[in-house]
Amino acid sequence: MGIELKEITKTYGQDAAPVLSTVNAEIQDGELFVIVGPSGCGKSTLLRMIAGIIPITSGTLTINDQVMNGVPPKDRNLSMVFQSYALYPFLSVTDNVAFGLKARKMAPAEITRRVQDALAMVSLTDFADRKPRELSGGQRQRVALARAIASDSKICLMDEPLSNLDAQLRVKMRSEIRELQRKLGLTLIYVTHDQTEAMTMADHVMVLNDQHVQQIDTPLDIYNHPANHFVAQFFGTPQINLFAATIAGDEASERITIDDTLHVQLNQPLAAGRYTVGIRPNQMALKPATTGGNANVLNVETLGEQTIIEVTMDSGQEVRIVQAGQVQIKINQRVTVSALGPAFVFDDQQTLIAEQGGVSDDQLVSVG
Amino acid sequence: MINSFPSVKRRRQTNQAPGPKEEVRANVKNFELQKNDKYYAWLFLGPSFLVLGIFVFYPMLRTLYLSLFLTDSFGRPTVFVGLQNYLNLLTSKVYMASIQATGVYVIGVTAFTIICGLLLAAVANQKIRGIEFFRTIFTATMGVSVSVSAIFWLFMFNPSIGVLNQIALFLHLPTVNWLTNPHWAMVSVITTSVWMHLGFTFLIFFGALQSVPKTLYDAADVSGASSRYQFFHITLPMISPTFFFVAVITMISSFKSFGLIDLMTAGGPTNATNLLVYRIYKDAFVDGNYAVASTESIVLAIIIAIITFIQFKLLAKRVNY
Amino acid sequence: MTKLISIFKPHWRWGLGLLALLAIIGGFAYGNQAHAESKRIKVVFWHEMKGPGQKQIDAYVKAFNKKQSKYEVVAEFEGGYNGVIQKIMNTHGTAASPALFQSMDISTSQMYHSGFTTPVQKFVDRDHYDLDQLVPGARAIYSRNGKLLSMPFNSSQTALYYNKAVLKKYGITPPPVDPTYSDITRVAKQIHDKSHGQVKGMTMEAYSWLFEQLVANAGVPLANHNNGHTGDATKVDFTSPAAIKAMQWVKENIDYGDFINFGSGGNASANEAASFLSGHLGIFMQSSAKTGQLYKVLKNNLGVTYFPRPDGKKANGIAVGGASLWISNDKPAAVQNGAWEFSKFLVNAKNQATWQAKTGYLAVNKHAKDEPLLKQLFKKSPVLEVSGNQMLRTTPNDTNSGIFIDGLVPARTSIQNAMQQIFAGQDIYKSLKAAENSYNKVLESNNRANGRG
Repeated sequence: MGIELKEITKTYGQDAAPVLSTVNAEIQDGELFVIVGPSGCGKSTLLRMIAGIIPITSGTLTINDQVMNGVPPKDRNLSMVFQSYALYPFLSVTDNVAFGLKARKMAPAEITRRVQDALAMVSLTDFADRKPRELSGGQRQRVALARAIASDSKICLMDEPLSNLDAQLRVKMRSEIRELQRKLGLTLIYVTHDQTEAMTMADHVMVLNDQHVQQIDTPLDIYNHPANHFVAQFFGTPQINLFAATIAGDEASERITIDDTLHVQLNQPLAAGRYTVGIRPNQMALKPATTGGNANVLNVETLGEQTIIEVTMDSGQEVRIVQAGQVQIKINQRVTVSALGPAFVFDDQQTLIAEQGGVSDDQLVSVG
Repeated sequence: MINSFPSVKRRRQTNQAPGPKEEVRANVKNFELQKNDKYYAWLFLGPSFLVLGIFVFYPMLRTLYLSLFLTDSFGRPTVFVGLQNYLNLLTSKVYMASIQATGVYVIGVTAFTIICGLLLAAVANQKIRGIEFFRTIFTATMGVSVSVSAIFWLFMFNPSIGVLNQIALFLHLPTVNWLTNPHWAMVSVITTSVWMHLGFTFLIFFGALQSVPKTLYDAADVSGASSRYQFFHITLPMISPTFFFVAVITMISSFKSFGLIDLMTAGGPTNATNLLVYRIYKDAFVDGNYAVASTESIVLAIIIAIITFIQFKLLAKRVNY
Repeated sequence: MTKLISIFKPHWRWGLGLLALLAIIGGFAYGNQAHAESKRIKVVFWHEMKGPGQKQIDAYVKAFNKKQSKYEVVAEFEGGYNGVIQKIMNTHGTAASPALFQSMDISTSQMYHSGFTTPVQKFVDRDHYDLDQLVPGARAIYSRNGKLLSMPFNSSQTALYYNKAVLKKYGITPPPVDPTYSDITRVAKQIHDKSHGQVKGMTMEAYSWLFEQLVANAGVPLANHNNGHTGDATKVDFTSPAAIKAMQWVKENIDYGDFINFGSGGNASANEAASFLSGHLGIFMQSSAKTGQLYKVLKNNLGVTYFPRPDGKKANGIAVGGASLWISNDKPAAVQNGAWEFSKFLVNAKNQATWQAKTGYLAVNKHAKDEPLLKQLFKKSPVLEVSGNQMLRTTPNDTNSGIFIDGLVPARTSIQNAMQQIFAGQDIYKSLKAAENSYNKVLESNNRANGRG
């Protein structure tokens, strides 16, 4: 059951390079599956292939064990919410929601019931007679949701539905969509370029970059065990610090050196050679240095509950450090930067080969 | 030369006056037109009033004036007859036939232009190999002048050596007197007019179709609407402002059809294509009857005003979104 | 604003200087021109001749200006016949008006009533000009109470053309040169029958002039007071037995199926000529001015006859159409004299001979046919002489000298409308009666507006 993508490839034109290459994934019934990646990675293309709006070049798409490649969109029994909302400007909210139902020649009473239910669910009952242009961005978004709800299909596809909203509204809608999905038991495939949305909403996340799937996992596993540079950099704010590092000499060692003043102790030895070490900003520390030190403060961003400090190491590398609370520190202040411990080690293929610590104990909190 | 605006200068000075209260009062006072401002207002508006007066208002009033008189052979109003000209006109069977012919022509041209233009635009909007060539062809009639298209169609309609009747003969169909049979003449001029309007209409509709967001169709695809349903429930409503625009433009343009009629039928046969505008021309500049022509002009102006009013009342309501 | 002006400030002196320079140059040029012309009296001549006619007029103007040194004739083309009437009405009394102008036959009454012209008779009497050299029929339509109003110029009559090649092909005897209705019907029907409908027998453009001449040839007036010649016409009669008979003749051919309808207007005459020349049509009626063009294509296969007459009746003769030359009375006597001199020059035998040879219009000077040019032409191509003979043999009377009514154009419009109705199968009497009634109303209101009747 669920949705299964097997070796899905998309090419425009015969000799053109593929825009998506050999995508494999399984999406479980009732889960919220986020496809995330930077713009141009092919995430919308993938969604549109699932919807049937564009044909699949090769590979197989099955929904509930049925091959869907040649099936027209209307027979795939799914609904879709678009980034632009795709509302019909000449129709009222009610008629927008009812559009698909009318097209399918559903009984009027049934249409009325479904539309009313859907509008109630997104709290738009009072706006039923308005035209889209008389609504705010958030309300339009809700109309689009209501339309998906009214279709009563168990699979819903969303293509960057929140990207046209302001930040606060986006946070609110995130939880609303999540709630709705649970309440209706939807299988929701959600495309976004925003890692925060992926982190906060998803049951599973597919990270897409460069026409390829980078990693499919739960949000925390992606955060804690990024498969490669890209994934490590894409998740977490501020962005992870990546350092060129070496294990000197000929022998394997547990000590990996970034520079004279900064190293990481691994819990198992690694062969000598060149590596990349990734340390999240919250796994680094700094203290003011009266003499010595290894970095200068470049910039300080005070967010209230935490402070982001950018420093320039003496090696010239810029490093982001997050400290809890409100840190008073001056720009150009001489500081000593150190690593707290947890770190990722990537090989020269940018692939994760070792982890130190991962989630530190004090970050794992169990409730109840 | 004009030496800036004194009152504007003063206004700027008062703005510098201390205290917010005073400033506000000073602004309010300056808001009224001052003597100097009035002078400038007339200076700037004068030329346009003059031009409008000479080229719009005077001819309008003169037309109205002439319509209340009989005019002699030289176009001079000589005998005041009040509304007699209007009475004569509105009780004239020939004039009523002209109104009817104009109605048939305008509605025919507008309807067929819209249908054909939309059809071509819908075809050109498809992703078909080589469609760019047809897009160019479809717009080609825009570049053809009235006289050239009239001559082109006259050749086609020639009763003995025209292409249409040659084809009819070849297929053993009865030949048609395209321009000399009263019923066919109307069909022929409508055909020619539609052909002439088609390029422009196609282009406008094509542009409108292209500007309909693709996602609306994607959404409809997913929600289960057939392409027929999409055309009537998405495409048509989405391009309804264009629809309205084309309808109004084509109507106005066909109301004014003059060159085409003059070249193709000269209002004949038996007045079958003697449209209101052509009639005015004939009465004024061929028959030299200025009073009758003026009366007809006024009646036509009223008819057009009524139609425009109805159009805006009826259609504007439906195209707003 | 001040800023804008200041930008131009450095340059305005230059601009002014340039303007002054231009004005001086222009003044010189104009002065020179005026100087050269001041020796001769300028006579502006408006005409409406296109093609060969225009070429020929330019040639006459050149010859006239060379021949004498007193007058300088300047010919200006003014477009169509209808437009020029309006232009005369609007420019009379201003410097823009011409000294001499060409105006069409049916505008005669209007020009006469306008009072804008000096009747040519005044100059004729003064100079004892020999009017007998001009064709009587041509004089008759431009005369009022026996006095000549304007100088007859480009003249034509209606003629009937048939394609001899078509007749030869099907072995049909050609019609006589002075045919009756039934002569033509016979030939038309035979063409239709023997070609099994491949060639149409005849056509008649829905052209009022043709109708008027059929009625004129029967010797019946179309308007009261002898077609307006002996008083202001107040009623027209389009339903006389002669008019009905003329249309019945056409109807007979329509009913038989040998008639093809080309409608009305410029396209109709172009279409019928094209059909005729390509052998799809046997007979049609048009202005004699077409003879030249048709002859160029068909050569000796072109047949021309006089305009048809009712059976059993002698032809009354038909009116001379075309246009005449009018002398404006808003110019000084010297200029009017120049206009008169030029008019005389245009209608002398020699010039009328070249006029007919080059343009196909009929010479209005009786002696033109004795000129070597025309003698040779007629010897070589006798068909070109037919229409001229028709005109020469006509004795003018009130029924064959046009209709003396202001604003005859609406009458023609309604007659043409009736013709189209008849050609489309409607009742002859009803159609003509409707035209008659509609024009009588126009006539009544016209007379009222002009203070007549």
